[in-house]
Amino acid sequence: MDSKFFKLLLLGGAVRFYFCRTPLAPMIGNRVEFATPLNSHKRMQEGIFLLQSGIDPYLGDLVHESPLILSALSGLFQKYPHFLPIFYIILDICTAALLYAMSLRFVKQKQDLQDVERKEYAKDTEELQFGPLDKLDIPELVIVAYLFNPLTVMSCIGMTSTVISNLFLAFFFYCLVKGMLIPCLLVLAFETVRSFYPIVLIAPLLLVFSRNSVRRGVAIAVLFIVGCLIVAVANYFVLNSWNFLDGTLGFIFYFRDLQPNIGLFWYFFTEMFEHFRTMFLITFQLNATVLYLVPLSIKLRKEPLLLATVLVALMAVFRAYPSLGDVGFYLALLPLWKRCWKFMAHGFVVFTFFLVTLSMMGALWHLWIYAGSANANFYFGATLAFSTGQIFLITDLLFAHVKREFCLFNGQKILIDGEEARIVLK
Amino acid sequence: MYPVAFVLLLLVAFNAGANLGRDDERFHEELVVRPLSGDHVNTYFQFTTRWHYGEKDNLYHTQLTPRVIAELLQQFAVKELHIGLTQGLWRYETWGYPIVEATSGAEMWAWFSGANLTNRDVDSQWKALANVFSGVLCASLNFVDNTNSIAPRHLIRPQFMPANGQRFVRYATLPREIVCTENLTPWKKLLPCGSASGFASLLNSGHVHNTKYHSLGLKVRVLCEDHDEDNCIVELTQTANLVYDLRLFELSNNDFSLRRLFGMGLNGYCELAESSKIYVQRNELGERYQLVPEPVHEVKTTRGGHSVVYSVYDMHEQFKEAGERLFNVAWLAPKSANRRRNLAKPSLPPVTVHRYLLGHGQERGRIVTVVTNSHYDALPIMLQEVIPWYVHAYLHTLSIRRKPQRVNEYGRQRLPFKLLHYTPGKQRELPSHLEIGFMLPGQTSALISIDVDYLLLKWLEYPPDANHGHYIGSAIVSSQLPMGRNYSALPPEGHLFEHSFNATRPSYVLSLHTEALIVSLPTPDFSMPYNVICLACTVVALAFGPIHSVATKMIIVGRQTSAPKNFVKKIFNQIFRRGKAADEAAAEGEGSPAAGAAASDATGVASARPAISPGSPSGDQPLLEDLDEEEEEQD
Repeated sequence: MDSKFFKLLLLGGAVRFYFCRTPLAPMIGNRVEFATPLNSHKRMQEGIFLLQSGIDPYLGDLVHESPLILSALSGLFQKYPHFLPIFYIILDICTAALLYAMSLRFVKQKQDLQDVERKEYAKDTEELQFGPLDKLDIPELVIVAYLFNPLTVMSCIGMTSTVISNLFLAFFFYCLVKGMLIPCLLVLAFETVRSFYPIVLIAPLLLVFSRNSVRRGVAIAVLFIVGCLIVAVANYFVLNSWNFLDGTLGFIFYFRDLQPNIGLFWYFFTEMFEHFRTMFLITFQLNATVLYLVPLSIKLRKEPLLLATVLVALMAVFRAYPSLGDVGFYLALLPLWKRCWKFMAHGFVVFTFFLVTLSMMGALWHLWIYAGSANANFYFGATLAFSTGQIFLITDLLFAHVKREFCLFNGQKILIDGEEARIVLK
Repeated sequence: MYPVAFVLLLLVAFNAGANLGRDDERFHEELVVRPLSGDHVNTYFQFTTRWHYGEKDNLYHTQLTPRVIAELLQQFAVKELHIGLTQGLWRYETWGYPIVEATSGAEMWAWFSGANLTNRDVDSQWKALANVFSGVLCASLNFVDNTNSIAPRHLIRPQFMPANGQRFVRYATLPREIVCTENLTPWKKLLPCGSASGFASLLNSGHVHNTKYHSLGLKVRVLCEDHDEDNCIVELTQTANLVYDLRLFELSNNDFSLRRLFGMGLNGYCELAESSKIYVQRNELGERYQLVPEPVHEVKTTRGGHSVVYSVYDMHEQFKEAGERLFNVAWLAPKSANRRRNLAKPSLPPVTVHRYLLGHGQERGRIVTVVTNSHYDALPIMLQEVIPWYVHAYLHTLSIRRKPQRVNEYGRQRLPFKLLHYTPGKQRELPSHLEIGFMLPGQTSALISIDVDYLLLKWLEYPPDANHGHYIGSAIVSSQLPMGRNYSALPPEGHLFEHSFNATRPSYVLSLHTEALIVSLPTPDFSMPYNVICLACTVVALAFGPIHSVATKMIIVGRQTSAPKNFVKKIFNQIFRRGKAADEAAAEGEGSPAAGAAASDATGVASARPAISPGSPSGDQPLLEDLDEEEEEQD
């Protein structure tokens, strides 16, 4: 915690504060790439207004925020609407600070582990090991990647509730690395009841806390379920009705709102034949949750944090209503794996994918919705390419991790008959 | 607010047909002709059937009342039913208020009342009722269901009796409905004389559908005595409200006649009718016309401080003599006014409404309703909006801004709500239903606006010609006027047009319909379903493949040179290798996995045999025995 850290936080806050006073802020708040039916600020306002007027917000299908958040924020929204941007900026800065603290701790753990394993490593692998400078570099990179990523900045000035989700996720990561079981469980249970997909993060949590004991694992799983029930019951008491379950979890699972976003769901289910809808709905939701959960948990059981990172990233690609704020969050976690970067082959491709598709999205959206000279396919193409870019990034990270592990123990240069060998998966 | 006074008024309604004895059925036909400004003529037909059915086990034996109406009362707990089928827009500013209100397209509302009736029963009865009248009137009323129906809370008031018990109301509009001949013909069949004789013979579809505005209405209500549930009257009122534009007749002057308007003169009255009368408005815009033949009777009515003079032609008198064959009335304009448009406007009605959409693009917009009060005093205003489910409305953006009538800009000044009722909409299930009430000061306009989002629908939910847009039905604005200027509606307790004569009341309930709106929702490409499914699944597979291989495959080390650089050679090599490997595998028969690995050895891959060295720190790392050996050799 040096002065640079605080300077960065202040600078990040200042950037957000500057942009939230420009006309960019309301524009971003209305962009479908940032504001989805789940996290849009306007819907949150509507929910709080309905709650204050004594109308059950979940009777309609405009509001999908959990009742606890609505009632917690209603005072702020009603009485001090001018301070809302500041509130969101503070939340975002807290997220950055938590990520910083988390990465400090993470690098330290890694270095401790390295000290134990060092004699097993191959000779020329210094650049794959966490060096003494990483203790400063990596947390700094993480915080810079979070604070100055345009995606998170815009998500914050658009006042999407992704800011709140990111805070909870950052807290989850922090507790995970710190080894605080109960706060970790509670925040995960809360996020699960709120937006369903974080349920997959139970896997890294179990890997960290069960310590290879099945009994502990079962106990933690039971605790988690109890936590979810407690959160659900607490939500129930806000309005004394269970309508919110269908309004939040049901709405996510059944994908009722086809508003375009950066994900794969919207056009797929717009164009879906009605009799296949249920099947594909289940397929896509499985794909976003359990499909990769088990294989990756087995493969990455030694690296629960990498597992969590990959799961968060996959969630941002495959969830029903993804927003660019989710993407910004997992991008900020990538510097943790700085030592894998050497093996990441598609960096340039992914960067170009991101740059081109993100700039195309705005243009194609305008052509489709306002100019009427393009149709939905154009925008769909851009979102599809964006998802592809993200998938390249995630799989690249996984491959890089596997190769790093291999090379760490076997040396970077493997020669067969005097020639450099290729490392391939088979 | 009003209902109590209303019920009291309705008590009179039961006795209004005092001469109606038990088991008595009466039929009346009326025609009102009112010249309107801008060379328009309003003709209003009203056919009223009242049946005092008393204590009957069943209502299957009807005389004048259509049997479908009688059966309705037996099948459903419906006490009051209104259906309107309209084409065109009534212009309040220039035409004043109509005798019956209607919105463009189809509109329907009904009151239900009965013992042990639940909301769910009412929902199913409402749907069944709409289906019945879909068949009876050949209209698309079968599209009325829960997705476009609401239960109005304040705005629609009952006109049946007794209305003080438990009661339910449902309301729906179908603004897309196009009204045409196929609706007029079955509507005329409900009349006792059909279209054979009487005023209905004037309603020829060719002429009716040439009008600028035509509206067919059907109203059924039941009036029972409060203390005697068996002493009931069923009242069926059929109305046809038409507005002709005289300029469309291409006449040399502004003269017109029944024959000009309807294509033929009147061939007599319906023999089953108790009364058959034509009312012609003579003052205001009717003043300049000379009538041929000269009317016998004249009625002057003063209602709420506003006087109207009607000339009355009684058909029973006109056709008393056997010789009379065709009856025609001609309106002769003074010669000096020839060829000039009659631009004299009546005084502006006290309350006028307009509605429009703000914003561009297919993403979001704002629905704006403007209510103008040109009366000098404040008026209570109620507004009912039904926003269909394919448009999301944000209640927190609802605002009422006001401005004095003469000023152009709306200020920041907000009007407070006196009353707000809102049920949020749900996609594919419920429309949003909004009712607000407020006091509108005199000489002031109110601008009521609410933000909406347009939704992307499933590709099969778009109607044919998807880019035509989707309709948002008109809003209803209701008020209570302290005076009767421009007001010609029937009082709720009356059933004939003549009951509105001299019907001075403390206040007059006015309800107006705004314009319907059309929004253009974003559309998907309708030709793409297979492509989209393929492309989206491909992207999923792009993730699945690599993650699958990371999770299941193991690392092996291969010779760099094993793959030829040349693309053609690479393919050759691939084919060759596959063939060779297959041959070798076949030759070795059921070999061990190691044998298979040996086969691939030949192709340049160093080894594929995994060996998990026990005790190694990276226990899950697939390490290669051969590889270690090779390294040792090189060392």
